[in-house]
Amino acid sequence: MTERPEDQVVISGLGQSAVGRRLPRSGFQLTLDAIQKAVSDSGLALDAVDGLATYPGLTVRVLPGFVGPDIYEIQDALGLRLGWHIATPQGAGQLAPLMAAVLAIAGGFAQHVVAFRTITEASGQRLSGRAGIGKGMEMAEGPLAWLLPVGALSAANWAALYAARHMHAYGTTKEQLGWLATTQRSHAAKNPAAILREPLTMEEYLAARPISTPLSLLDCDIPVDGATAIVLSRRDAVVDPERAVRIEAMGGALRHRPLWEQWDDLTTMAAHDAAAQLWSRTDLTPSDVDIAQLYDGFSIFTLMWLEAFGFCPPGESGPYVEGGERIGLSGELPLNTWGGQLSGGRLHGWGFLAEAVQQLRGEAGARQIPDAEVAAVGVGGGPVAGALLLAR
Amino acid sequence: MVLAGPPGHHPDPSGASLTGIDDPSIPRVAGGVGAWGLPPEITEETARFWQAAQEGELLIERCVACGFEIFPPRGVCRSCGSRLVEWFQVCGPGVVYSCTVNHQVWAPDMKVPFGLALVEFPGHPSFRVLGHVAPEDLTALEIGTEVDLVFLPGPTGLRIPGFRPRGEERSK
Repeated sequence: MTERPEDQVVISGLGQSAVGRRLPRSGFQLTLDAIQKAVSDSGLALDAVDGLATYPGLTVRVLPGFVGPDIYEIQDALGLRLGWHIATPQGAGQLAPLMAAVLAIAGGFAQHVVAFRTITEASGQRLSGRAGIGKGMEMAEGPLAWLLPVGALSAANWAALYAARHMHAYGTTKEQLGWLATTQRSHAAKNPAAILREPLTMEEYLAARPISTPLSLLDCDIPVDGATAIVLSRRDAVVDPERAVRIEAMGGALRHRPLWEQWDDLTTMAAHDAAAQLWSRTDLTPSDVDIAQLYDGFSIFTLMWLEAFGFCPPGESGPYVEGGERIGLSGELPLNTWGGQLSGGRLHGWGFLAEAVQQLRGEAGARQIPDAEVAAVGVGGGPVAGALLLAR
Repeated sequence: MVLAGPPGHHPDPSGASLTGIDDPSIPRVAGGVGAWGLPPEITEETARFWQAAQEGELLIERCVACGFEIFPPRGVCRSCGSRLVEWFQVCGPGVVYSCTVNHQVWAPDMKVPFGLALVEFPGHPSFRVLGHVAPEDLTALEIGTEVDLVFLPGPTGLRIPGFRPRGEERSK
């Protein structure tokens, strides 16, 4: 059997800009911060970088601050000479540029690829509050044509339909979602970079104002400004193999109808297809995973990712997180150890990736999980998903 | 016969021009419940659907070759790949598969709360329709509720799919 692409590529560097509410700097400058830190972290010189990848790149600005810098402007600003580049507004979710880079490196098109995701939604919404999708657009195109005209202007509405169905089918409760929010907040208390670090009680969680039933304010992630970058390197070209993080397996399959409202079973998501593909590419099993970093753009997504990865049977994610102990820092499966997007900030998936890398390197400070060797990373919601299994 | 465009998209007798939101062949009414939303782009694939919606009819595509039902309209059968499709009317009642009540003001002038119902139609398992639910109908809105199909005034006066719970539970 030929060597898998995953076996030929490692994560050699990680860099993150300042992350905050309404930073006084452009997304472009935040991106440069993250990239320069990541390259420095990898031990490489900038001119060794011969690949560049991002999500989403130049595309429809569905929300203010959603779209990061244009990939060509970053290339030009840094004077990069590229063997390969890509921007992926569509693909295996926000992890698509990373997965594409793995394939490109394994295929010999580049040796060191910088992949990044930058978001400035906190600054973007500053004057008007959280906007619906389509602000500034003239009409709803493509799949949005069946969502926006009837009033489903936010992903919160779309996610709410999944949450309501999961509750109906399995008896999942609001309190169970609350155990995610409160437990993750306790993790954020140990993360100096997190946005919300004060303890959150179940009473406070339950008292939050409704957004789109059954989801309320504290089921929704918190918009921030920030950039995250990683360096992916050919395994035999890394400067410091000791700090390299392996890619054990990845998955981005999409085997069902790729529309929020037409997805076959709304108690599942594309996460299930992505995770199934991931497990088909490794001998490891869910019981080998030490930590899980699972997307929580809305709290319900994390419950569904737990089921998608097989950490619990279908429908049992609610009871699985109840009480918070199992998913706590000293629990059976420490979950969203940086606070997740609910408390750490909406870095649109890349906060989970950064946390997994830091944990596997033993560089997670006060929230470090001892001997963390295998991390599951699941990013995306509804019909969008990418899954990674990282290891050291 | 060679058809211009995807076979099965029978030319509309009204000679609809497919110019998007200002398409004059698609009548408008005064803005209503969803006037703050965005109108859909009207395309070669979807013009017939939106024209029928203005007349209060839910039209769905069906494959002439295998009978598979297709929504959103594509001009091709997802099951067998045939490009020969026809339109048929779905009347209801439907059954709520999932639903939510929106409380957040996402756009200027948006009136809240309102409901969204994702509805299935018995005997038509290959699609669902997402529709608007008016404020006065929210108390009866839950999964499993039987609903009637209505077409409510939406963005730019275009009528959009909506649902109204059946029975006596409606509060005024």
